[in-house]
Amino acid sequence: MRRYAIPAFFLTPATVLIVLFFMVPVVATLLLSFTDISTTTLSKPSWVGLGNYRDLLADPFLKKILANTGKYVALTLLFNVGMGLVLALLTSLVPSQIGDQFRALWLLPRILPPVVYVFIWQGLLTQAPMGLVSDLLGVSKNWIAAAPWSVVILANGMVGASFGMLIFTSAIRAISRELFYAAAVDGATTWQTVRRVILPLLSWPILFVTAYQTLSLLTSFEYILLLTDGGPGFYTTEVWSLRAYHLALSNYFGNVEFGLGAAMAAVLVLIGILVSLFYLKIFNFQNLVVEPKVEVN
Amino acid sequence: MPIRPPSWRLILIVLGLITLPIGVGTLWLLLTALFNQVHGLLPVGNINFGNWRFLWEGSINGRPPIWVALFNSILFAATVAFIEVLVASMAAYAISRMNFPGRRLYLGMILVLHAFPAVSLLIAIYYILRVLGLFDTLFGVILVKASLEIPLGIWLMKGFFDNLSWEMEMAALVDGASRWTVFRKVALPLVRPGILALGTFALLSAWGEFILPYTLIVSGKSWTLALYLQSFLRESFVDYGMMAAVGLFYALPVFVFFLLGQKYLLNIYSGGVKG
Amino acid sequence: MIKGTDVTLRGLSKRFGKVWALKGLDLEVQAGELVAFLGPSGCGKTTTLLLIAGIYRPTTGEIHFGERRVDHLHPKDRDVGMVFQSYALYPHLTLFENIAFPLRLKKVPDAEVKSRVQSTADLLGIGHILNRRPAQVSGGQQQRAALARALVKEPQLLLLDEPLSNLDAQIRLSARAEIRRLQRDLGVTAILVTHDQAEALAMADRVAVFSTGELQQFATPDELYRKPKNTFVASFVGAPPMNLIEGVFKERAFEAGGFRQGLEGPHPQGQGWLGIRPEDIELRAEGTPATVLVVEPLGREALVMVESGGVRLQVLVPAEAKPAPDQQIHLHLPAEKLHYFDRTGTRVGP
Repeated sequence: MRRYAIPAFFLTPATVLIVLFFMVPVVATLLLSFTDISTTTLSKPSWVGLGNYRDLLADPFLKKILANTGKYVALTLLFNVGMGLVLALLTSLVPSQIGDQFRALWLLPRILPPVVYVFIWQGLLTQAPMGLVSDLLGVSKNWIAAAPWSVVILANGMVGASFGMLIFTSAIRAISRELFYAAAVDGATTWQTVRRVILPLLSWPILFVTAYQTLSLLTSFEYILLLTDGGPGFYTTEVWSLRAYHLALSNYFGNVEFGLGAAMAAVLVLIGILVSLFYLKIFNFQNLVVEPKVEVN
Repeated sequence: MPIRPPSWRLILIVLGLITLPIGVGTLWLLLTALFNQVHGLLPVGNINFGNWRFLWEGSINGRPPIWVALFNSILFAATVAFIEVLVASMAAYAISRMNFPGRRLYLGMILVLHAFPAVSLLIAIYYILRVLGLFDTLFGVILVKASLEIPLGIWLMKGFFDNLSWEMEMAALVDGASRWTVFRKVALPLVRPGILALGTFALLSAWGEFILPYTLIVSGKSWTLALYLQSFLRESFVDYGMMAAVGLFYALPVFVFFLLGQKYLLNIYSGGVKG
Repeated sequence: MIKGTDVTLRGLSKRFGKVWALKGLDLEVQAGELVAFLGPSGCGKTTTLLLIAGIYRPTTGEIHFGERRVDHLHPKDRDVGMVFQSYALYPHLTLFENIAFPLRLKKVPDAEVKSRVQSTADLLGIGHILNRRPAQVSGGQQQRAALARALVKEPQLLLLDEPLSNLDAQIRLSARAEIRRLQRDLGVTAILVTHDQAEALAMADRVAVFSTGELQQFATPDELYRKPKNTFVASFVGAPPMNLIEGVFKERAFEAGGFRQGLEGPHPQGQGWLGIRPEDIELRAEGTPATVLVVEPLGREALVMVESGGVRLQVLVPAEAKPAPDQQIHLHLPAEKLHYFDRTGTRVGP
């Protein structure tokens, strides 16, 4: 009995929490997406089958949302990976203590509370005299309203760039010294070393960061919510995940369309499951499981 | 890189330029919080503590006192970190060091959940908390926050437990310890670096958490600092001075931590903690 | 005083996945005896030790300590002390707390813990460094601390897994003698796992030689040396190893290529091995002609590699009598020092 009871004891707390807040929500998202649950039908929702999904396809703004989502994910990803790569390379080329300092600075946007981080953006981009950008450009306006997309992508990108930066830096550090010495002996310039030695060896980490961040960008909306809340105006920066959130949890018109929001979330959940399973495959799972050397529990 | 390029000083300047916005933003927050008027980065008034009156004036525009929010934030972050470390360590120890049927399956599930974007479950979680009667309670949000990071925590801690010596574990068993005693007296003390890493990560992450309390908490008495600060953004007239002061107050532990433990932070975030 | 227990292993087997690490082991260790498990790595000796300790569960078979059957018991209920190759001291605890660990788990009162730890540590000569951590003391002291931790709870059985292999050669010799002395004084039954045949022969009352998961021979060091049961034991026990020549036994002679050795008395027939230890071969004025290939001076003696009729042999000679390379010499293989093995490698004859 001890054989099962002891591991079960160790695993129970984690399992309960995972079931409660991962497994049940996945099922609940799918189930809710098949009902017409909303503010008016909260107590007894009825089954509508694929009704919500039909509504979703018929939504006149669907195209706009999809385009926004594509734009947001693609451009932010480009910034994240590109900036991550630039930072990793540049901080590797300077003396390592200085490089560490810069990398640490780039962690700041990530560890700052999002509300504080977004507030700083708002402050810098507000009208003169307070707003620095208005001050410097001599044109006083609210730059978030004037150029919402640039702000959304830059603000998200500065948070996300550190992820790639750290992964690429570890990858560069893992390259054997001999390779650099060999390149130097062969007369390669720094740029040639970067292009012919480092970049080819970074292709796998780049793929990893791209895949990983695509999924998290697709589902994250925290910074957009705080910066523009999908505006300014009508759906200017509203992306899929934010739209789902708005529909289900904070509808402007007071009628929360929970079922429809759940249907949009369900699409993300399904994508999430598929992509995560795909990671499991490329992570080479077999190597991660080593048999324990103690057999008694 | 082992070989420093001849033009590294030039590279340093480039690095400085692209990093400038981070410095500027931080400086702006500091100046705006401290002076009564700031033009861009130029303070034009005197040092002004009026921005900080939320500290002694009880309630600002009908908000709960900031001390309530501070207390909630501390409670929230500390409890989340504690639950996360304890629950993840226990599970990670079992997965890493014990023999039981379904072990591979469990590990596979953790790996999938680790990559899975939990925020997409928010709508269902809102519903579940309502059903459980935990909606609008700090405890409910604590459970949710800790749970969503548990796969990551298990993954991180498993890596640390994997590296413990098997002979030491065998020695403890022969010395008369049960697995629970081995875990508590031998394994946990030895994975202290992992506990510190996960604990730090969890504290920082919970301290900054916005979307969960924003969605799952309504009443002011359960507000965290994130909600307190965000409530200023919804006002028609934004008092930048006071907001900056609140923001600085809220972010102060993070800044202090950042100044004291840069190297440590880099290690934690390079060590596979996702972002 | 500690009183040791008998240990009986019956039909003990262990399988990992598809690999049998141990096959049907029957073995009896008597109370107070020191038995060495000897063999190359992967032979099953450590597996057996961990089965006895309770870290592994046997696939089949039984383990008894005296009258008590223990194979279903948790390690903590078996009352054994164990010393590991890496010593496995707890790095976060002082030596005192390391040694006290088993007592603390048994909820022994503080005062008693203190006196027992101190007296055990004094016995091992580390009583003065108990407030240090493992990383702050030498390898020899760590080894003693590990031994103290194993002994402090006065176990009936002491298990030693390569306890000396991480020590410097100099300390190793004194540690051997000390473990032996302690074990005898305390009367505890002990099992020593080692790959070092010299260590096994020097320390053990009896030695169990393992190979590929099977017990090859279980005997006193003297018998192992004089009457190895098969070619594996013959080649594994003794340094330099016994010369084993594969060839054919004929009427009163053994032939292998151009090598020929006359035999007296009863001997096997057909394919088989002829064995002789390097120290048993003599150089004489007359006998089997051979050519010296290499001479390795070992100090007091010299190890000489010779070739005779296509067969290579190692010969141990006194240093002052060592021949020169390429020299032609004559070998004498005394009849009473020859070992005969049949085609399966099993000893034939007395």
